[in-house]
Amino acid sequence: MLYTCPNRPKCHVSRPLNAMPISISDPATLVFQLNGEAVSIPASCSPQTTLLDFLRARGLTGAKEGCAEGECGACTVVMVRDLDGRTVYRPVNSCLMFLPMAAGQEVYTVEALAASGSLHPVQQSMVDHGGSQCGYCTPGFVMSLFAEHYRPGRGDGACDPHSMGGNLCRCTGYRPIRDAALALTAAPPDAFSRRLDAPAPPITAIASAHFSRPATLDDCLAILARDPDARIVSGGTDLGVESNLLGRAFPHLVSVEAIPDLRIFHETAREIEIGAALTLSEIEAAWKTAPAAFTEWLDLFASPLIRNRATLGGNLATASPIGDGAPFLLALDAAVRIAGASGTRTVPLHEFFLDYRKTALARAEILVSIVIPKPVPPIVFYKVAKRRLDDISTIAAAFSITLGAASRVTAARLAYGGVAPVPLRCIQAEDILTGSTWNRRAVQQACAAIAATLRPISDHRGSAEYRLALAQSLLEKFFYECSEAAE
Amino acid sequence: MSIMQTLVQTAARFKPDADPDPLIASKKYVGRALDRVDGRLKVTGGARFTAEYAPDDMVYAAPVFSTIAKGKVRRLDTAAAESSPGVIAVITPKNMPRLVTPSLTDFAKLDKIAASNLPVLQDDSVHWNGQVIAVVIAETHEQAQEAAARVRADYDADEGMVSFERNKDKAIMPKDVLGEPPEIKIGDAEKNLKSAPVQVDATYRSPYYNHSAIEPHATIAYWEGDDRLYVFDSTQWVEGYRNSLAHVFALNRENIRVMAPFVGGGFGGKAGFWWNTILCAAAAKMVGRPVKLALSREGVFRIVGGRTVAEQRVALGATREGKLTALIHTGLTVTPDHARYAEQCTFPTRHLYATEALHVAQYVVNLDMVANTWMRAPGESIGTFAVESALDELAVELRMDPIELRRKVEPARDPTKDTEFSSRNLIEAYERGAAEFNWSSRNLQPRSRRDGAWLVGHGVATAYYPALRFPGGARVRLEADGTAIVQAAANEMGMGVATGQLQHAADRLGLPLHCVEFDYGDSHLPTSPMAGGSCQTLSILAATRATVEKLHRELLKLEQKDSASPLKGAKYEDLVARDNGLFLASEPSRGVSYVEILRKAGKPYLEVEGVSSAPMEMMKYSMASYGAQFCEVRVNETTGEVRVARWLGSFDCGTVLNPKTAMSQLRGGIVMGIGMALTEEMLVDGRSGRIMNRSLAGYHVPVNLDVPRIDVLFNDIPDPQTALGAHGIGEIGITGVAAAIANAVYNATGKRVRDLPITLDKLL
Ligand SMILES: Cc1cc2nc3c(=O)[nH]c(=O)nc-3n(C[C@H](O)[C@H](O)[C@H](O)COP(=O)(O)OP(=O)(O)OC[C@H]3O[C@@H](n4cnc5c(N)ncnc54)[C@H](O)[C@@H]3O)c2cc1C
Ligand code: FES
Ligand code: FES
Repeated sequence: MLYTCPNRPKCHVSRPLNAMPISISDPATLVFQLNGEAVSIPASCSPQTTLLDFLRARGLTGAKEGCAEGECGACTVVMVRDLDGRTVYRPVNSCLMFLPMAAGQEVYTVEALAASGSLHPVQQSMVDHGGSQCGYCTPGFVMSLFAEHYRPGRGDGACDPHSMGGNLCRCTGYRPIRDAALALTAAPPDAFSRRLDAPAPPITAIASAHFSRPATLDDCLAILARDPDARIVSGGTDLGVESNLLGRAFPHLVSVEAIPDLRIFHETAREIEIGAALTLSEIEAAWKTAPAAFTEWLDLFASPLIRNRATLGGNLATASPIGDGAPFLLALDAAVRIAGASGTRTVPLHEFFLDYRKTALARAEILVSIVIPKPVPPIVFYKVAKRRLDDISTIAAAFSITLGAASRVTAARLAYGGVAPVPLRCIQAEDILTGSTWNRRAVQQACAAIAATLRPISDHRGSAEYRLALAQSLLEKFFYECSEAAE
Repeated sequence: MSIMQTLVQTAARFKPDADPDPLIASKKYVGRALDRVDGRLKVTGGARFTAEYAPDDMVYAAPVFSTIAKGKVRRLDTAAAESSPGVIAVITPKNMPRLVTPSLTDFAKLDKIAASNLPVLQDDSVHWNGQVIAVVIAETHEQAQEAAARVRADYDADEGMVSFERNKDKAIMPKDVLGEPPEIKIGDAEKNLKSAPVQVDATYRSPYYNHSAIEPHATIAYWEGDDRLYVFDSTQWVEGYRNSLAHVFALNRENIRVMAPFVGGGFGGKAGFWWNTILCAAAAKMVGRPVKLALSREGVFRIVGGRTVAEQRVALGATREGKLTALIHTGLTVTPDHARYAEQCTFPTRHLYATEALHVAQYVVNLDMVANTWMRAPGESIGTFAVESALDELAVELRMDPIELRRKVEPARDPTKDTEFSSRNLIEAYERGAAEFNWSSRNLQPRSRRDGAWLVGHGVATAYYPALRFPGGARVRLEADGTAIVQAAANEMGMGVATGQLQHAADRLGLPLHCVEFDYGDSHLPTSPMAGGSCQTLSILAATRATVEKLHRELLKLEQKDSASPLKGAKYEDLVARDNGLFLASEPSRGVSYVEILRKAGKPYLEVEGVSSAPMEMMKYSMASYGAQFCEVRVNETTGEVRVARWLGSFDCGTVLNPKTAMSQLRGGIVMGIGMALTEEMLVDGRSGRIMNRSLAGYHVPVNLDVPRIDVLFNDIPDPQTALGAHGIGEIGITGVAAAIANAVYNATGKRVRDLPITLDKLL
């Protein structure tokens, strides 16, 4: 008898999501567009439920969980967002998005792509080039590539394989996936293309007991002042990991995504002001005059998926000693604007980090923007990590040296991450350099000062000795690169 | 070796060879770069993986992990968990169903499988840091996890043995290594070494590694009555899991069904019959509802073992001409007493090179750790790191090109087995690779090439993996409309099994590809060996070949009932299958279609089951795949950063069934090897035995941009001893990679790193 398979059950998913309800005043605000259909976020759902879990519970199992911490990209979905005045598809890690953050937004999953029955060109290219083996990573790659395919201004040539930098594959060795990207041409003039002709959905206000998204700074400050349990969430790329992996409970999440003051990008003759809630991708698009080092810095920061959500404000507020934002901004002499019940103050960044993961932000205060004085001095950024991309730094360094007449140093900024409990500038070494001639001897003296003052720790990313040696050799490297460039 | 084994081996040696598979010459689909059959399902998100099934009424299980390595749980406080919302039950040793203890994988009788033989949650003892000590079952996954976090345990902790460094002196020689002797001595290698004009004697270290398949382990189990169990599992071996479950739950094998239609990568990590599977089935029994247990990434690191840490000594004595007079390779690995798996790191050395005297030996130290297990090319991957690094060191001593050295040590017969090779074309792989890679332009002198801040170096190493086959079964059903279905319990984790087997079945049956289906991933189907040891492809090919032969013989019998048949009087040996039917080989116009045969016989279908023979060829010959790995690395002088700039793998692995899927497998293996060489390492706290980097953020698998251009060449020389002349290729890709990189790093910097991974600090 031929064996048939009666017991392979069909998937009829009806998984209830967890308690601690959002209990919102106006449930209509908790609706979002999913693959072209309006879906509501059940009021019974915990605000810490991830978008990924929600999708999978609905039977949309194309997006998968490989890590729940933004590393693997198996959970990638795209959102329709505004980027510097243009509507774009932005791929994001759905495992790091708290579900209510999707409210009012427009999300597409892999299931939407071949809804008509025929494969989307991106999918077809993956099939043609053998882009999957086990296939577990595949929907994630497809969604990253989908967003890249429709990227405005991309032209009709190949898609950039770097766009899939946030997706891990353990089977294929990546080559066939890159070939699939390289073989793509212009995006078809289909409904997905046409969608980009219309504006992206606005980010609307939400008010509820466990999740709020105030529309003004004042409202936000009021909520923070009122509720001692309130916790700011910006892109959620740090908080999402805390929630998923460390099991932290956040009784009241306050999203700053809808506050205009935190989403500005202003450039004047005196300074550049970057809203704390701008994502790194948004800053990249807005900062047209950015120094080359910024682009290099950005490329080394996490992955494209993370950069579509991660904000500079979150990066500084989280105050990781190995965060990449701080050294870069310290070398630019940046300051931060902080708003609180009693008004707004400006704090130089080198006074912002007080101790391990402790900043000058008081309770119920909010980081509004980052201010970079102009002219922006020449700057280089180095990040040493075990893995070339998508890795936390072993150490990061940003150097800015301004030279006057006769190669005399008029200003020196030597900023580091990963060499102390806080990101810092090595003022002693800066002082040695300032006023000296920019030569080998001065650099050696500065290195001696670095060795004498920095006290890095040993951990699995590198020993203290190695870090200290690196802190010095990076300065030497910088010097040699300068001399080479001068020749 | 037992007398029985000796007898069988002797018999195997005198058994005449079968004729090479005739299909090698007449294949049509085999060898073509066809798209994989499941590509469409995978790009649309339609391929359903284990965790994505949702039987009605399903509940969720979350494990609680121990935080000590050794001792007892003195008190387990489950009250808070029990009163937590949605909780249905908390399983502890007190209420856990009594189970039979799993028995360790036995290579003499490979039907069951288990990486550890500890009783599963049957008592309060703790054997590794991360062992499951309780399981919470709740209505939702989140509720189960939340409640699991509320379980409190107090321990009576013993001083566990967890540090490799501190316990090396307690090493012992295991009874056997995968059924082979732990030690082989030919001549007096130590004596030869001492008197050799050129000597290399070095120790090579590699850390614990983790498979890190992107799909974390998941299981869904449900019972029908007391004695029927259905399990979806992300396993590499549905049948082995079924048999092991039958053993543990004391059930008839027929009453259990294990299904794994899609598995999100395994690499050896999903063949251990780990506790998640057993606990899920037990939980489903307890609560009388379907249960899902999907491990978090951290959960995988805690309860699924990886590759052992290893310390290997390789000593080479050679003449000035590069002949080996002594080859010594000893290896020390870690295994807990409940796993007893000494990773076979000395195996490549047993079969690779000609030497006057040889000594290989393996030792283990028993630590209180999660059971170590197979990880892609277990043994060969770390073994080739040691022996291929040492050979490079010897080439440096001799001032000889390392490929020239490989020529000098190429053996005529297998050095330890003392048999012929069924098919060995290693030197040809080296030569083709060298031409393609432009090896001749390499500088023998280290540190002689640079590009700005980057030192550039080139390295080469041998890849080696045995060609294994196990007996297995297949079912072939020919329908009245001339289509066919081939069935085997096989697992497809992405290797391309389904695609390759379809190509084979179509050729074997003489049918167009679209007329054949391949059904797999279910323990109710005819028996297949595990998707491991690169044996599955060869084994199923042989089983299908045997089954199709049986089908053809039956068809011929049916056909010959017709006195007017064009095949009248023909014997099976006279036939070829082509163009949807059977034809006389000698007279191509005489034949009959399958549709016609079945129509005349009045049969709606014909179905046969067959099994392949015992793998006697493996005893008679030394059978393996070989390769030459070439690479270019760049090392940054300031930071010590290593980048692999270019790769070429030149392989001798029999007939290639499908260059597209094969290329992908090999490249994937090479990339995993790059991870092994440069970034991957599981860090174990030497006091608590806790794995410190239990996440993909801490355990660094290669990313897109770590990966250079990788070219792959195939000798494509069929092995006369196998179906289609093919070999499995799932594992050979990773072998030799770490050595090629270390050798290239030496060539770039003059610094020999013998300690993986080659991180920046080791080069500064
Ligand atoms: C996979 C992965 C890779 C990463 N790689 C890197 C990397 O390479 N380099 C690096 O530096 N970081 C990295 N990170 C960390 C993280 O992405 C950054 O720190 C990010 O910039 C945080 O921004 P966010 O908006 O997501 O912060 P959130 O998670 O939203 O918030 C982080 C913290 O800041 C607080 N906060 C946020 N906004 C404000 C505000 N306006 N005022 C006051 N407090 C606020 C929150 O309460 C929270 O405590 C990585 C993270 C992941 C998951
Ligand atoms: S699940 Fe891995 S990035 Fe989201
Ligand atoms: S195909 Fe398996 S992880 Fe990419």
